[in-house]
Amino acid sequence: MSDDIKKDRAEEPELTDQSRRSLFKTMGLGAASLAGAAALVTGSDDKAEARTTFAEFFQKNYRLMSEQEKKESVKRLETRYEEDYGRKVKVGYEPAEEGVLFGYALNIQKCIGCRRCVKACVKENNQSRHTTEIEWIRVIKLEKGQFSEAALTQGGYPGGDYGIQVGGNAYRNAGLILEGQHYYEPEKVPEKDSFYLPMQCMQCEKPPCVKVCPVRTTYRDPDGVVVIDYNWCIGCRMCMGACPYWARRFNFAHPTLPAKELNTDMHYLGNRPRVKGVVEKCHFCLQRTRKGRYTSCIEVCPVGARKFGNLLDPESEVRRILDRKRVFRLKAEFNTYPKFFYFVD
Amino acid sequence: MKLFKITYTVAAATLAFFLSTGPVTDALADNTESDTPKTDCFESREGYTKVQRVEGDNEFDWPNIKCSDKTGGVLWWGDPFDGTEPMGEMPIEADYSHEEAVVKPRIPHLTYFMPCTACHNGETVPVPTSTKPRQLYMHQDIVPNSLDLKHGKGAIWCLNCHSAKNRDKLIDHFGNEISFNQPQKLCGKCHGQIYRDWRDGIHGKRTGSWRPNGKRRWWTCTECHNPHDMEPPFKQLEPEWAPELPRGMTNADHEQHHYPEDSGHGAGHDSPASGAGHGETKAGAGD
Repeated sequence: MSDDIKKDRAEEPELTDQSRRSLFKTMGLGAASLAGAAALVTGSDDKAEARTTFAEFFQKNYRLMSEQEKKESVKRLETRYEEDYGRKVKVGYEPAEEGVLFGYALNIQKCIGCRRCVKACVKENNQSRHTTEIEWIRVIKLEKGQFSEAALTQGGYPGGDYGIQVGGNAYRNAGLILEGQHYYEPEKVPEKDSFYLPMQCMQCEKPPCVKVCPVRTTYRDPDGVVVIDYNWCIGCRMCMGACPYWARRFNFAHPTLPAKELNTDMHYLGNRPRVKGVVEKCHFCLQRTRKGRYTSCIEVCPVGARKFGNLLDPESEVRRILDRKRVFRLKAEFNTYPKFFYFVD
Repeated sequence: MKLFKITYTVAAATLAFFLSTGPVTDALADNTESDTPKTDCFESREGYTKVQRVEGDNEFDWPNIKCSDKTGGVLWWGDPFDGTEPMGEMPIEADYSHEEAVVKPRIPHLTYFMPCTACHNGETVPVPTSTKPRQLYMHQDIVPNSLDLKHGKGAIWCLNCHSAKNRDKLIDHFGNEISFNQPQKLCGKCHGQIYRDWRDGIHGKRTGSWRPNGKRRWWTCTECHNPHDMEPPFKQLEPEWAPELPRGMTNADHEQHHYPEDSGHGAGHDSPASGAGHGETKAGAGD
């Protein structure tokens, strides 16, 4: 089907901004009203910004774009960001490599809950900062189990010992009793009675978020990363509801990103700055990994709990972990086939 | 044709509604992070491997590192190979010739190195005749009590790893001298299992390229572990700041709530207001 579309596109005359403009002119839409519409669209009188926004409005879904259209789109984004942030930026659109399927492994035994991965991710991926803070990685603190002998004989139902009918005599959970904390703030980590579970997008092989997206703006790229075309996202948040891992974040407000904090190395499907009303999530740092570099969270983890590699390469770190360690996945019973593995030594 | 025109006008108006203020206005918004970013940072362990932030003049306008304003830990590397050198030969049964491995030299980051033989030259400080544990009165900032070394639980002592004759080197139990930059050659002698995992990239940390033949910085043992105090193996450190609370939430006390409360509960009675079973159940077992 995409081939057909490509063919159609090839037969179509190429529409540059200029030719589009003249096309509308001939269609009876005056140049003056067009400029007015463009200004209305952007709420600014700025010409480059207006032109960019106007052109983006007619932009196709990223997957249906030809190479040329991708190039033009990326150029537009560069113009826009350079104007917005006053810094030279580079927006890449490297496609997935052949023979690469990204996988991730996290040693839950080693994680100390320091949240450096969370903050490194924010620094790398141009998330919104303070007051509308968005973080893609969530570190959950869990209590270690406990068992109270005293509670064996005390508590329970009034009027005597009901024994096995109320679950034996252990009238207290003999395991975790705190549900898990997200906002923990001790002076030092790891704490003695806790362990930590970082969660982020699992890059599922059968992603529920992709199934529900009504505009098909989120999809699985051939290297296994579930990506989002932010320009095509309508902000319906169906994907957020569908994701069993709470991996997706929504820009409820205009993202706040100071120019000096901007990471100028970007990818179209990756860390380019988002706008209000679109969903975003972890994408395995596409702007890095498609050029061969480790993700930001991998590089920053002070205990080396995070491992990343090509699942199709038997010598990769991730494959060695799968071969050698005890591995589990979160909520595997949903048949989402996550490519994010947890392991212990 | 007229219909077409109307469609576009409506579409433009709709778009105008959604984009009435663009991200432009927010580009220079306030931020909690200070204007002068922290420049004095540490890589893995606090107090070791310090790095200075240097603003870069490269393709992406990157500094060499970005650090946390709260903890001073490095959060981001512009160039993951900054200040590294080739790792050299890999000891014991490994063929990593296809891979470009680099390490960051440890010697410039040691607590003392002027070099060590400046004092330990056999004259200022005599060469010890025995490797048996004894009370030391120097270097107590590294090992507070030399008779209670927190590594090996009494099975080893300083001179099992430090060369008695050449203090600028480490020494393995065959008497081979080992550079401070290559601690894995020494540590791997006892910690074989961990060494195997480290060699295969499962234990420890690497930065750089994930590709099989890519260039990678291998983090050596002592970049993360303090060999003089392995209890615990990784020292506690200050965490980064907590996530921002959702709008409207003033605290996260709900997370601190234990279920069940101090009283015991049967299944299905996890709310204090649920009636039966709560009158006489003030169990003494505190949390």
